Amino acid sequence: MKLTSKPLAAILFAILFGGIAFTSAMNWWQTESTKVPEKFQEGEAAGQYNPADIRGSYTFGDINRSFPVPIEVLKTAFGIPAETPGETFAVKDLETLTSAQTSTEAQEIGTTSVRYFVALYCGLPFEVIGDVYLPRPAVEILKESGKLTADQIAYLEAHTVDISDASSRLEQTVDTPETPSGSEQTVEEQTIKGKTTFQELLDWGVNQSRIEAILGGPMPSASTPIREYCAANGLEFSTVKTALQTEIDQLQK
Amino acid sequence: MKNPFPKRFFRRQIWIRSIVQIFFFLLIALISINHTLAETGKSIPVLSSASLHALCPFGGVVTIYQYVASGSFVQKIHESSFILMIIGFLLAVLFGPVFCGWVCPFGTIQEWFAKIGRALFGRKRFNLRIPEKFDAVLRYLRYLVLAWVIYMTAASGTLIFANYDPYYALFNFWTGEVAVTGLAVLGITLAASLVIERPWCKYACPYGAVLGIFNLFRVFRIRRVEATCKLDGACDIVCPMNIKVSQKRIVRDHQCISCLECTSEARCPAAGTVEFVAGGK
Repeated sequence: MKLTSKPLAAILFAILFGGIAFTSAMNWWQTESTKVPEKFQEGEAAGQYNPADIRGSYTFGDINRSFPVPIEVLKTAFGIPAETPGETFAVKDLETLTSAQTSTEAQEIGTTSVRYFVALYCGLPFEVIGDVYLPRPAVEILKESGKLTADQIAYLEAHTVDISDASSRLEQTVDTPETPSGSEQTVEEQTIKGKTTFQELLDWGVNQSRIEAILGGPMPSASTPIREYCAANGLEFSTVKTALQTEIDQLQK
Repeated sequence: MKNPFPKRFFRRQIWIRSIVQIFFFLLIALISINHTLAETGKSIPVLSSASLHALCPFGGVVTIYQYVASGSFVQKIHESSFILMIIGFLLAVLFGPVFCGWVCPFGTIQEWFAKIGRALFGRKRFNLRIPEKFDAVLRYLRYLVLAWVIYMTAASGTLIFANYDPYYALFNFWTGEVAVTGLAVLGITLAASLVIERPWCKYACPYGAVLGIFNLFRVFRIRRVEATCKLDGACDIVCPMNIKVSQKRIVRDHQCISCLECTSEARCPAAGTVEFVAGGK
C-alpha cells in the first residue's frame, strides 16, 4: 500500500485533532492544573489530600474544595480584608499582601504557612522544614480547635507573627538608621528577608548561575528585591527563599 | 564534485508539508502569545491560551516515571501533554517521526534558517561542515540528552529541561521567564542552522530520539526500488537529515523524519522508485 503526501497530511490532521477532540469530549484533555492536591499514599492519612501539595496558584476556594476548611476561616486566619473575595484569593498573593507587615523580620507568611495551617486545622501530617510562621489569628483558631499537641502549641507560640505589631515596628524603623549593607553582615545575619536584593546574595558569595537555576530564568537587575521579583513573575517567594537560603547555608559550612 | 542537478530540481518539494509546517508554527506562536495575554486578562477569544508545556508531547515522555511512581504529573505538565505523547506515538508507529518532519515548529524554523544559509553561502558550502566520522557518532548524542533529561526530571520532579530547551525559548523569549541557557541554546541552534540542516534534530533533540526508535518498526516506511533506481543520488542530496537513501532498500535509519522529500513524488526523478509504502518486502 502506497501513501503520498496529501493523504498523509489529511491522516495527520485527522489523528492529531481527532484525538484532541475525542479526549476533550471525554473530559480528559486538560491544559491547566485541576487545582487538586495529591493524596497521601500511606500511613493513617492514606487516601486524604496532602496539604504539602497546596500550590501558590490555588485559591482559598480550591483549598476549601479539597479540605474541610471554610473560606471565612482562611480569610480570618491570614488577615485577608473582609472586602476581598476569598473564593478567588490566590495563596501566592498572600506573600504580597503581608510583605509590608513582615519585611522587618525573616517571618514569611506565604504558601508554606497556608499548608501548615491547613494540615494542623485538619489534623493531617506535615513535615516542617525550617521555620514556618503563622499570623496570630491563625494560631488562635488552631488553639481553639483543640487538636494541637503540646509540642505543636510550643512551636506555634515561638513562630507567631503579630501583624499589627509588625506594622508598628515597620513604622518605627523608618526613623532608625539603615542596617549595614549586605557585605558587612556577619555570617549569622546572612538570612534572606523581605527586602533582600540579588546584590546581597552575590555579596554573600552565591553564584549567579545558581541563582538563575533556582529562578528558572535570568537574574534581573542586582538591585531588585527578591520578593519583588517573585511577585512580578508569579513565583512563590517562600519556595525561592528556601532554595536560596540553602545555597547560602552551604557556603557557610 | 560537480552538482549534476539544475536549480529547478531544488524547487521541487512536498508543498503540502510546507503548508502544514507553517500552520503549526503559527498556531503554536499564536497560542504562546495568547498565553501571555491571558495573564494580563486580554486573551484572544476562541484561541487556546494553554502554556507551551501543556502542548508539548515531550512533556508526557518526561513525566512517565512520576506518573507510574505516584500517579501525578511533573509540575507544569498536564493531561494534554500525556495525550499528545500518545498521539505522537500512534503517528510514529504508523508513519515514523512524522511529528518531527511535519508538525514540530522548531524543526520548521531550522529548515527556514537553512534556506537562508543556502542563499548566503551557496549550496556547495552548505551542510558540509562536520566530517562524516564525527557526524556519525554525534548522531547518537541525542540519546544521551534523552537519558539525562529523563533522569534529572525523575530525580527533581521539575522540568529541568525547560532551562535548556530552545523550543521553549523560541516561543517564550518575550516573557522574561526563559533562562539564559535556553536563549543561548536557541541562538547557537539557529546560527548553526545556517550551515547545517536541522542541527538540533540531528544531534540534541531528546524527543526526536524517542520518535526515532519507531523507525525500526513503523508500518509505513520509505522503500527504494533498486531495479528502477538511477543511482543519481537525488534522494541523498535533498534529505534534511542527510541519510544516504540511495544506499538503502528500506530506510530504517533512526534519524528519518518522514518528510517524503526523497520520494518519487518530490525529488527522485524516477517514477515509482522511492515511495512511502506499507507491507511488501
